Amino acid sequence: MEAFITIKSLKKSFKNSKKPVINDVNFSLKKGSITAIIGESGSGKTTLTRLISGLETPDAGSIELNSKVVNDETTFIPVEKRKVGMVFQDYALFPHLTVAQNVSYGIANKKDKKQRVFEVLQLVDLVGFEDRYPHQLSGGQQQRVALARALAPKPELLILDEPFSNLDVVLKLQLRNEIFTILKTEGVTSIFVTHDTQDAIAIADTIIVLKDGKIVQQGSVDTMYNHPKTKYVAALFNPIHLFSEEDLSFFNFKTSKDKTYAIRIRDFSIDSTADYTIKTKITRSIFLGNHYMNVVMLPNNTAINFHTEQELHGKVNVGFFKTAILEFDI
Amino acid sequence: MTTLIIISFIAIPILTIFFRLFYGPGETWDHIVKNLLLDYSLNSLFLINGCTILTLAFGVSSAWIVSRYSIPFQKYLEWMLILPLTIPSYITAYAYAGFFDYGGSLELLLESVGISGVKLNITNIFGLIFILSVSLFPYVYVSARAVFLFQSGRLIEASKNLGVGERKTFFKIVLPIARPAIIGGLILVLMEVLNDYGAAKYFGVNTFTTGIFRSWFSLEEPATAVYLAAILLVIVFAIIYFEKLQRRNKNYAITTKSDIKTPKINLRKRTRFVLSAIVCIPVFFGFILPFLQLVYWSFLTYTEVASASFFTIALQSLGISLLAAFLTVFIAIILIYVPRWNRISWLKNSSSIAIIGYAIPGAVIAIGIMIPTLQLDKWLISTIKELFDTNVGLIINGTIIVLLYAYIIRFLAVAYNPIEASQLKIGKSLSESSKLLGKGNLYTFFKIDFPLLKVGLLSAFILVFVDVMKELPLTLILKPYDINTLAVKSYEYASDELIMEASLPSLCIIFTGIIPIILLNKLILNNDKK
Repeated sequence: MEAFITIKSLKKSFKNSKKPVINDVNFSLKKGSITAIIGESGSGKTTLTRLISGLETPDAGSIELNSKVVNDETTFIPVEKRKVGMVFQDYALFPHLTVAQNVSYGIANKKDKKQRVFEVLQLVDLVGFEDRYPHQLSGGQQQRVALARALAPKPELLILDEPFSNLDVVLKLQLRNEIFTILKTEGVTSIFVTHDTQDAIAIADTIIVLKDGKIVQQGSVDTMYNHPKTKYVAALFNPIHLFSEEDLSFFNFKTSKDKTYAIRIRDFSIDSTADYTIKTKITRSIFLGNHYMNVVMLPNNTAINFHTEQELHGKVNVGFFKTAILEFDI
Repeated sequence: MTTLIIISFIAIPILTIFFRLFYGPGETWDHIVKNLLLDYSLNSLFLINGCTILTLAFGVSSAWIVSRYSIPFQKYLEWMLILPLTIPSYITAYAYAGFFDYGGSLELLLESVGISGVKLNITNIFGLIFILSVSLFPYVYVSARAVFLFQSGRLIEASKNLGVGERKTFFKIVLPIARPAIIGGLILVLMEVLNDYGAAKYFGVNTFTTGIFRSWFSLEEPATAVYLAAILLVIVFAIIYFEKLQRRNKNYAITTKSDIKTPKINLRKRTRFVLSAIVCIPVFFGFILPFLQLVYWSFLTYTEVASASFFTIALQSLGISLLAAFLTVFIAIILIYVPRWNRISWLKNSSSIAIIGYAIPGAVIAIGIMIPTLQLDKWLISTIKELFDTNVGLIINGTIIVLLYAYIIRFLAVAYNPIEASQLKIGKSLSESSKLLGKGNLYTFFKIDFPLLKVGLLSAFILVFVDVMKELPLTLILKPYDINTLAVKSYEYASDELIMEASLPSLCIIFTGIIPIILLNKLILNNDKK
């Protein structure tokens, strides 16, 4: 399928920071896809979405939306003409307008206004709340109004900036599913920014991992999970143990000098047929509800955590299979 | 108990005026009602309306331009827009009167380029509206700018994202959101307009404040002055009530927590210069023009004015202002801390009564204090005569104590607000930790709160200091005979038609206002960086 968004060599620096916030970012996304941009705070993910929406101007590079250049050396289409909807982290609902007024605010076609407001409110399950003011709504309801408002003018692209960061865990789980269904129903191409891998896994078709203003890896959830390119991506999606050369020598594993190695915590096993093992004493075995977390010490005092279904005591063989080894360039 | 005593002392002037109403008005009251009251009311109403329109136009437009667009000399203009506040409006009025006067600076300037016969009389109510507006609009500017900068950024972005243009965003989102804050600033303007004595007197416009002075000094009828003061108070309270009413249900808790600054809009070079020019208009008329006029005059007159007695007055002015600022800050601290220490919640609320003084015109406070202190003096004199059989003069009245008492009432809010804001920023947990570690209230205050409150305390001190330096109506009524202030001196010169001579004391007041404002600006900036 043809790319719907194409971003090339995008760069952005701010006056007060030495390093560029966005440093040579390139990617393209398909029409109708849901993409998660994931990264820790300061990685540049919010700036990237602000550049796409036109709230900031890039220092270099180009942005194409729906086969139309919206930003390059000679073109800058202002934010209000880009047809990019945005759900802000703090919702940014207009506090002096009712739910219906908020939602209808961006609809240009006066004729269909009422009908469209009803449609989107139905979509977010808020029919009956038309005359309420934002402060009369709960956090989850405000979030849904923000989504409805952004969807109402039928944007070509929808950006959601940390949409769940202000919600408690239960509400977050519920809304995650709802939003996924809504975005798929509307068929709108969406980008959402998050620092939580679980959000990304639950909603996105494609994930882009951003670090220090650069894309570290882009791919499906499966790619991120099973074929991480760097230890940063590996650690993001699964807790891992990073090993030193000495650590691995205790398992009789031969390392090569230009590589670093890691094992996911879930990949440790007490199976005696494992390819690389060490016999060591269990220091602690802690019940964590549905499994036990065990701690063992390597001879150089490095602690290793791993999970088992049963409680462990005394000396055990701890190890891993060849296939579990994650190998990264230094 | 301390708080209660302070609050009662602050309530005395208002209560005095209220109870005095039952004594009936003076003999000239009928004359005033028939011939002057309508004049006072219409003039005050006209002033309020005119100043509302002009200060909103100057304040809101300049705040929007400097907070939204990238314009030349932005940084300088941002703080130059506050400078008109450093010139008391009566001094701006003198400067303008002189500028437009027969043989004044305008005529000289025009003659130098060959134009003659142009004469503009501004000593009327329209001129007064213009002068009060150019000198008071910064109240609107400051409050509007704060909202534009810190609250509406996210909402403007949301609006633009929804495909809406700049104009609709301004009128549909920005303005309604900023309305409570803008009206808050406007209320301060209107309080100052009603409080003004010097400018209205000089321009010959009859207002309630000039009426109070006339009844008290020219007609020597305190009872009539009390009636006028009461009407003025009703107007003031009506304005405050209106402000509360408009704020109700509209006090939007803006939940934008983002650290992201909305970038300023870059416009074409020509548009940028036009916007800069628009912002320069109120700065020019509110500060540059009157300031230059005063500087010019002071060059002409300084040899006569700058005498030994002038320096004595300057020192007295400085001393009184410092003392008043110190006492006001001290009282504000007590009002803020004592109810907290004693966990008396109703006292916390009544503290807000204490800060109402800023809304009450100086002339009203002066009358409200003069009457009870005179009564007290009478009682003291008769008691002393009974006990010791000696005749003594006025003991409290006409002393600096009464003047300081009046300043404290008038400017308590000016000190209270920044200290309370800093106190709220610090939060309760630090002092609670100190108490959990076994320390008492005073120890905790001096060791924990005080160092953290420094900026708030200093802001409070400086603001009160500057306000007292500028204060005219209250000082004019209550100052002791042997003491003078720069503000009163400049008023006296102007009243004696020695308007050029008024420039030097005026400039001294302006400089004492500018320097602390610049220092304060730096201090707050440094503190924010930390």
